[in-house]
Amino acid sequence: MQVKKDVKVQKNTYKPPKGLKKGLSESQLAYALIAPALIMILVMALFPVVRSFWLSLFDLRLNHPTKSKVYLSHRLNMERYAGDYPYLEQIIKEAADEAQGDVKIELVSVRDKILHINTTLMSDQGIKKQYDQVSDLQMRMKPVGETLQYVSIDGDTAKSMIQIAKEVDEQLHKIKDTPGLKQIVKEIRDITKDAVAGAIIVPNFVGLGNYAHYLKDARLAAALGNTFLFTICSVSFELVLGLLVALSINRSFKGRGLVRAAILVPWAIPTVVSSLMWQFMYDGQTGIVAHIFAWLRLIPDSGYLLTTRTGAMFSVILADVWKTTPYMALLLLAGLQTIDASLYEAANVDGGTKWQQFWSITLPLLKSTMLVALLFRTLDAFRIFDLIFVLTGGGPANSTETVSVYAYKMMFNQMDFGKGSTLSFIVFICIALISIGYIKILGADVLKD
Amino acid sequence: MALLKRCVAVGLSAAMLVSLAGCGGQAQQPTGAPTAKETPAATEVPAAQDDTKPAEKVTIVFARGMDSTKASNNIVEAFNASNPNIQVKFQEMPSDSGQQHDQYVTAFSAGGSEYDVFDADVIWPAEFAQAGYALALDSYIQRDGINMADYMEGQVSALKFKGKMWGMPKFTDGGLLFYRTDIVDKAPGTWDELMEMAKANKGKEGTEFGFVFQAKQYEGLVCNAMEYIAAYGGQVVDGDGNVTIDSPETIKGVQKYIDIVKSDFVPNNVTTFTEPESHTAFMEGKSVFIRNWPYQWNLGNDPENSKIAGKFAIAPLPKGDARSAATLGGWVSMINKNSKNPDAAWELLKFMNGAEGQKISAMDGGLSPTYLPLYNDADVIAKNPHFGDKGFVDGLKAAVPRPVSPIYPKLSEVMQIEISKALAGEQTAEQAVKNMDAQMKAAVADAQ
Repeated sequence: MQVKKDVKVQKNTYKPPKGLKKGLSESQLAYALIAPALIMILVMALFPVVRSFWLSLFDLRLNHPTKSKVYLSHRLNMERYAGDYPYLEQIIKEAADEAQGDVKIELVSVRDKILHINTTLMSDQGIKKQYDQVSDLQMRMKPVGETLQYVSIDGDTAKSMIQIAKEVDEQLHKIKDTPGLKQIVKEIRDITKDAVAGAIIVPNFVGLGNYAHYLKDARLAAALGNTFLFTICSVSFELVLGLLVALSINRSFKGRGLVRAAILVPWAIPTVVSSLMWQFMYDGQTGIVAHIFAWLRLIPDSGYLLTTRTGAMFSVILADVWKTTPYMALLLLAGLQTIDASLYEAANVDGGTKWQQFWSITLPLLKSTMLVALLFRTLDAFRIFDLIFVLTGGGPANSTETVSVYAYKMMFNQMDFGKGSTLSFIVFICIALISIGYIKILGADVLKD
Repeated sequence: MALLKRCVAVGLSAAMLVSLAGCGGQAQQPTGAPTAKETPAATEVPAAQDDTKPAEKVTIVFARGMDSTKASNNIVEAFNASNPNIQVKFQEMPSDSGQQHDQYVTAFSAGGSEYDVFDADVIWPAEFAQAGYALALDSYIQRDGINMADYMEGQVSALKFKGKMWGMPKFTDGGLLFYRTDIVDKAPGTWDELMEMAKANKGKEGTEFGFVFQAKQYEGLVCNAMEYIAAYGGQVVDGDGNVTIDSPETIKGVQKYIDIVKSDFVPNNVTTFTEPESHTAFMEGKSVFIRNWPYQWNLGNDPENSKIAGKFAIAPLPKGDARSAATLGGWVSMINKNSKNPDAAWELLKFMNGAEGQKISAMDGGLSPTYLPLYNDADVIAKNPHFGDKGFVDGLKAAVPRPVSPIYPKLSEVMQIEISKALAGEQTAEQAVKNMDAQMKAAVADAQ
């Protein structure tokens, strides 16, 4: 808005350069002026989302030899191939020489197939040259380096190599129990898998395959269920308690400043610290909260809280409510203070009870603040991670695992960045839907302006 | 079967410990030790022998998890003093092994060369080798004539993947049973006996519990579960990487674990217990038995921290229908494949994981060596008398490795979730085993 006003002010004095005079209308010029800011916002806000979505379209696993990067074309991992092939050729020749009868026929055929793969590859001069360079480096125990590590190969060669490797594996499987050759056949199988099948990189684009996987994933359904349960329970308790706190500290009484400051303490403690604190208090042996609850007969025994599904979810929600109620209260207090005191005076003159004042004045006028506070808290609660990660680690039996915890485990524990990005994007979609829902149902009028 | 074989092999190598103590002679090669057969082809022997000792002074970085003892610093200092051309910088990593794993994978998958030598948990080598993070060491081992038969075989087999050696063993760990000698005369022989004894003796000498162990949903749950499964004759993955978890033996093992968790002689919140919770309870004098790692010995005998110093002994874990089984733990050292100075890195590895380095970590860090001749070393035994203890040696003898698989993290996660559900009473042992079987088979097929 600011920008537009400025443009208007300048209207009379501003003389555009000749070239622009015809090309840009006033509003276009305004857009041109705010363009840098818009681009900044797009880059900062949308880039991570777009990037996550892009990664979620791939079968990307950091600890998998042929899927550790985004690959759009077929390649050969020369380092692996050159490192293993000479040995493979050697032991397969030895085995073929040693074997007898039918086994020998199989092994000779395997040998021919392996040699055929190598000849096909080496018929390309570029590949041959790179192979020699890489094996020379490996002989001298020097790192191969990124430029030499991979070589592009065409799709048909790659496919036929994979097919041959598969046939070889089947042939070897048939003779795997040959007496005397057991060990060597197993080794040939392993190295074929490693040097041939494991060196060919197939494009790992899977389209929406990861999403299709999660559509049927019971663990995601459970995690989403946990997340919604947590979000709904914690946010509604926080709203009610936060409102009560806000209403009480909105009145004037002695020591109000101190109370207002003190109430923020839970919010000010880092979540990891408060999670550990609650962990001690919930502990079945020494935890004070656990013992008080057991004494009050709220729970069957003191070990109940962190060891059962209901107990663990309750514990997590309680810790979150304790931590974020002050935040809610603070936001609502700000809203309460914008309500004009004369409205209450007028209501008093008209004989309205406190209850009527609350329903007819406070709540309607607090609606927009409440919407903003709820929106913040819902989004925050939906991506809950730190509290649960420290307090329960998602357990017991995954009963407190939320979508964010699941995504973390997928990405950083399993190193599956494709699936992890898919989960992150699913969180993004859920959050976008929640935000739209809030705006539609509660506050279309509030945000119109 | 292969698991069983491997266990027998571990047993043999550990049996050697005992025989070594008797004869004090040169280590013999245990039967079936496949050292000669699996050394790689001649093509991999470095052609240029002259760059063994780098002429210029090079700096390499050694990374390992937080070391609360002085052992790591002392090793680095001793190495720097004896190798003027190589300067080693010691980099401490987080103490949580899961976090360490994640940091290494992040660094290595980006092709980083910031760590030259690093310590790895015994469950990582297959994964790191498969991903191409680690340097295969066979040519170095062959060149310097290192006899792998001097090392504990269980540890060596955990480092072997696709016929190559991806690191050198550093120290070993295995689940052991510790029992209060002021309450019971002898350790239980079977899990059923343990349950009876724990029930009968709970409450004596101020104890609150009969038995403590680890059952939270984390890696330690897999270690504990593996011990029950193997004790009753089950296995998770066979030597070829096929999932073989679905068997009546496995179900029986998991059921025993559930029975113990559900019994009245364990803490009511035992499913939140990791090592610190369990050793605290034991050292506070609250429990008759504990299943823990060897570090419990030194910690529990420190009168400043422990109320039961000198009042407990070590035994192998109880037997199931099949045998006594302990989960093999421990750490190995590996070289980053992108290291700019692999030769210097190997020199450090050779020193640190050879006789000298392992002696320092046994003396200053109290870690159990994987280099067998050290169990004959008078200095080491004097400082760590339990290395000569029969219960200790027998316990480590019974160690079985967790599944050697490049997708170990996935297999471990499946076990953590499904067994945790069974312990929480949400499914039976049979359902848990069926679910694990289906999910593990899918994961293995997916990784091909």
